[in-house]
Amino acid sequence: MTVLTRTFGVVLVTLLCAAAPLHAAQNVPPPSQPTPTGQAPPQQSEYVPISQLPPQDQLPAARLLIAAYSFVLVVFFLYVVSLARRLTSVQRDVDRLGASLKQSGKP
Amino acid sequence: MMRLAWLILRKDLTVEVRSGEIAYTTLFFAVTCVLVFAFALVREGRAPEDGAAGILWIAVVFAGNLALGRAFERERQAETLRALLMAPAPRTAVYLGKLLGVIALLVGAEIVLVPLIALLFQARLLAHLWWMIAILAAGTTGFAAVGTLFAAMLVRARSRDVLLPVLLYPITVPVIIAGVRGTAALLQPELEVGVVRFWLALLITFDVVFVTLSLWTFESVMTD
Amino acid sequence: MPKWFVPAAVVCGVMFAFSPLVIASADYESTMGLVQKIFYYHMPSAWMFLLSGIVCGIASVRFLTTGDPRHDRTAWAAAEMAVIFGVVTLVTGPLWARRAWGTFWVWDARTTSSLVQWMVAWAYLILRRYGGPGSDKLAAGLALFGVANVGFIYVSVNYWRTIHPATTVVPKLPFSMGFPLWYCVAAFTLLFVILLQMRVRLEEQRATLDTLYLSLDEQR
Repeated sequence: MTVLTRTFGVVLVTLLCAAAPLHAAQNVPPPSQPTPTGQAPPQQSEYVPISQLPPQDQLPAARLLIAAYSFVLVVFFLYVVSLARRLTSVQRDVDRLGASLKQSGKP
Repeated sequence: MMRLAWLILRKDLTVEVRSGEIAYTTLFFAVTCVLVFAFALVREGRAPEDGAAGILWIAVVFAGNLALGRAFERERQAETLRALLMAPAPRTAVYLGKLLGVIALLVGAEIVLVPLIALLFQARLLAHLWWMIAILAAGTTGFAAVGTLFAAMLVRARSRDVLLPVLLYPITVPVIIAGVRGTAALLQPELEVGVVRFWLALLITFDVVFVTLSLWTFESVMTD
Repeated sequence: MPKWFVPAAVVCGVMFAFSPLVIASADYESTMGLVQKIFYYHMPSAWMFLLSGIVCGIASVRFLTTGDPRHDRTAWAAAEMAVIFGVVTLVTGPLWARRAWGTFWVWDARTTSSLVQWMVAWAYLILRRYGGPGSDKLAAGLALFGVANVGFIYVSVNYWRTIHPATTVVPKLPFSMGFPLWYCVAAFTLLFVILLQMRVRLEEQRATLDTLYLSLDEQR
């Protein structure tokens, strides 16, 4: 484990942490939508009730909002994963090559 | 410097007049392009409104792409570009000469294309001839300025044929937009001079900036 | 990696984790309602999109004048940032517009210029990938034109009928909407810096790898 891999671990975990509450916040079900078993997430009381909005605004807007925010998260998540993978593979090559260079340089 | 640019232009034109390779292929391609659009879009003798403006510029841009690709291919095959750059001449003169050559080719194509499109699409492209010439000249200059620079820079790159349009089109989109809008404004039944003048002014500003940037970039990129 | 990297990444992650709460606490906009909340991610990412274009252009000019490969690496990284933040901007924007304007896409000056800038960023990356040797200078030239372009289309904004909200919206925001916005701007800026640093680091390691290969060849 290099310092590098650990840093990416940190970035990934933090991004994942970011994903969890965001989803919780997005999935506040509009009252017009029948909730499956009736229980609401506990955070819900903190939000402005959605019934303040004009009724025709609720469903499509919520769907678009969820789509937008989850898209942003997915893009950043995938990009960080791809960057981390590219970086670790290059780092591995650098380490390997440096080691073999030292070996062949000594005798 | 202008004399050197003129010499390079004359050299290119002489080669072109003798062989006609680029001129004929470019022109043929542009005309084919227009014909395809005519088959596709003209129904019962009626063409879509404003379609002519877009098609004119698409044909010019496609033809320009072809001409630009070929213009430096000849220099590359004969290994003469290096000689040109090593000659005791300012690089900007080389660029200007090449640019004028490309513009000359495109103007030749446009002389054929404009009446052809006017005929096939029943568009009044020739109604305001001087405005049309001004817009075409400004648009062609802007497109060719960037195109010549990129074609020159790509001469030694791998897969240059594919890369030229990939690089050229996004950069020249504003020129094409301004050209199409300006031409479309000319096609209106009542000419709004203010609109045409705005797009023309935008095109000329583009030309100035693109040519200046190209001269600077050509100087610093074509170093080896 | 520099020392600030890990703390910055942690702060950035925490900021993003709390951003939904901050955004949820913002007031609704009177005419657009719920969907206007896309704004808090859309505009910061659009700013970062613009910023990455500017960074790429400046780094390219410095590379062309000095020939220092560090600037080239920054330019390359910034171009990739432009693609990433660009796709975020260009997807969240239409989702918002679908509700606010009734259509996904309008060919107005700002959307067009964003799309063109995004395409230039793609062209840059394609060039770096397939251009072969010498593509670094070529790409720098491309970036230069890309930046010139962006300034230009903004001129035509005044002449082009547009329904995109004007930039004057931002300074006029009340605190309840302004705070979430600036919070998200800070989070996105931090994210931009972190991702840019990671991307530059990748390029640096690749350069190290090349020199290592070269010295290995010399030894043999």
